[in-house]
Amino acid sequence: MTTLTSFKRENRLTSAGMAIIIGVLLSGCLITQAVAADKKIPRLSHGKPDFSGIWQTTSAADYDLEPHSNRKDAPPGAGIVAGSYIPYLPKALAQKQKNFAARATDDPALKGYTLGVPRGIYYPEPFQIFQRKQDLILVHQFGHSVRTINTNNTDHPKDPYDWWLGDSRGHWEGDTLVVDVKNFNDKTWFDRAGNYHSDALHVIEKWKFIDPNTVEYQATIEDPNVFSRPWDISVILYRHREKNFQLIEDYRFTLDYDEYYPPKPEKP
Amino acid sequence: MNSKKINPKLSACTALLAGLSLLPLLGSAEEAKPTPATPKPAQRQLKLGGQGIEQERSFEHIESGKWTGPKTADGQPDIQGHWSNTIANHNNFTDPQGGIINDPNPNRIAHGPREERAPSRVSDPVDGQVPFQPWALEKVKDFQAHFHDPIKPQYIEPLARCAPGGVPKSLFWHGYEISQYPGYVLFQFNSGTRIIHLDDKPPLPANIKLWNGDSRGHWEGNTLVVEVNNHNGKALFGRSGEFISENGHIEERYIFKNDGSRYLYQAVLTDPTVYTRPFTVSIPARKWTEKDEPNGWHFEVEPATHAGNNLILDHYERVCTENNGGFGLVAAEGKK
Repeated sequence: MTTLTSFKRENRLTSAGMAIIIGVLLSGCLITQAVAADKKIPRLSHGKPDFSGIWQTTSAADYDLEPHSNRKDAPPGAGIVAGSYIPYLPKALAQKQKNFAARATDDPALKGYTLGVPRGIYYPEPFQIFQRKQDLILVHQFGHSVRTINTNNTDHPKDPYDWWLGDSRGHWEGDTLVVDVKNFNDKTWFDRAGNYHSDALHVIEKWKFIDPNTVEYQATIEDPNVFSRPWDISVILYRHREKNFQLIEDYRFTLDYDEYYPPKPEKP
Repeated sequence: MNSKKINPKLSACTALLAGLSLLPLLGSAEEAKPTPATPKPAQRQLKLGGQGIEQERSFEHIESGKWTGPKTADGQPDIQGHWSNTIANHNNFTDPQGGIINDPNPNRIAHGPREERAPSRVSDPVDGQVPFQPWALEKVKDFQAHFHDPIKPQYIEPLARCAPGGVPKSLFWHGYEISQYPGYVLFQFNSGTRIIHLDDKPPLPANIKLWNGDSRGHWEGNTLVVEVNNHNGKALFGRSGEFISENGHIEERYIFKNDGSRYLYQAVLTDPTVYTRPFTVSIPARKWTEKDEPNGWHFEVEPATHAGNNLILDHYERVCTENNGGFGLVAAEGKK
């Protein structure tokens, strides 16, 4: 703008010439902006989106993935399931209802259990992503559990175990990180409302930047032992931008025996 | 303390702990190699990169100085990969290859003169002992007396409950992986994860206490220097019961050899409420790579599934199997 002003002040250009110059400059600006919008997404040196940072959802998904009225232990919520309801098989629905009735004592999160996938992502506590070309390490503040998403063109193990967090293999579809997760154990829940899965759980995650500080997280969940068909969820993750925000170690499952350590001098 | 005098309130607890006490024994049975009944004239050969936990009995010193090896994009010495100590596990802090103190199983007690085994992890003072104040030494002896007879919860080593190993024990509890990022060095231990901040974020407030402490580091040539505060004091240094308190401070120096094959850990532990003077801990470590055979303790990797012919290694999930429960879960399962 300074340049234009000085041009005008010096009155060296016709108005037609001026219009052309402005037009050229404007279109240049627009192109630059479009490129800038794309560039603004943080990227690693190999060009893929860089999800490094500390993330958390503002969603109340962890209370209950499905729509629900208010209740003593949960605010009302519209849920995050596409189509609103989870397609349980009849027998599994009965188990879910049992879980719901016993949620005050049986929710694995109450014991500080590793939350699993995808619950760790939408649980209302921060997690930090450490990303390299070959992998992403997710450190969840809750339980301080640590998950690896491999992005090194490897596939699931041929002779797998059952894992708390499953086995995660990711690949890039454009700027979307697609992660195939399976080989889970059956010890985690999806939320505080008793929504659950078996060890046949299979999750396909999609991670995509909306803007440099916002990520859309989608997951397709299937488990033929529990659900009649695959179903989808979606939450938004926000980057923690508070000054000096950092994760704080939280090995909650050790609190039950906190009082026994360390040794202390005898009281007089 | 006399083990016969059991507080009646603790009796249920004791029954429970009798079961729980098997945990450390099972662990050590799996790890310890029975000493032959007839002493051999020559010591068993140890091999770096070989099988077993004990990989060497003495180790080279590494000096702090320049780093001439490869660097990460953000300028750190690139020391990423799988690492593990070369000497022993956490059975015994000051006689690392000496077996568990007061072990009732004679096959697991180390024989032969002390000097044939690796030196104490305490490298200063020269006697190799932690300079405990009398009250603290009494607590350590008490723990050692009851480790195999845990009549109270405090005689269970927290690691057996899947608590994080803490500083410095995590460095001699299985192999671990180090990765680096702009502003961070990340340690993924067998039990627990440590985020070392190289950024300029301020340390945590002093009243926040953590198993692994709060770690702030920087590089000086080939040496990663880390100040560790905010200890919760709960992570014992081993089955021999040594400890630091909530008032402790640890200054760590990870001194890397320029060929990237080894590092020497040297840490000064200061705690005026537990020790009579600061002391130094030295732990040698070596890197494990694709060239090494997997080792069931130091290098727990699996070949990854992929289309190419090159070897890519997987390291499976690090969640302790008793984790997600510890004391409470053991109690719940005991009822079934």
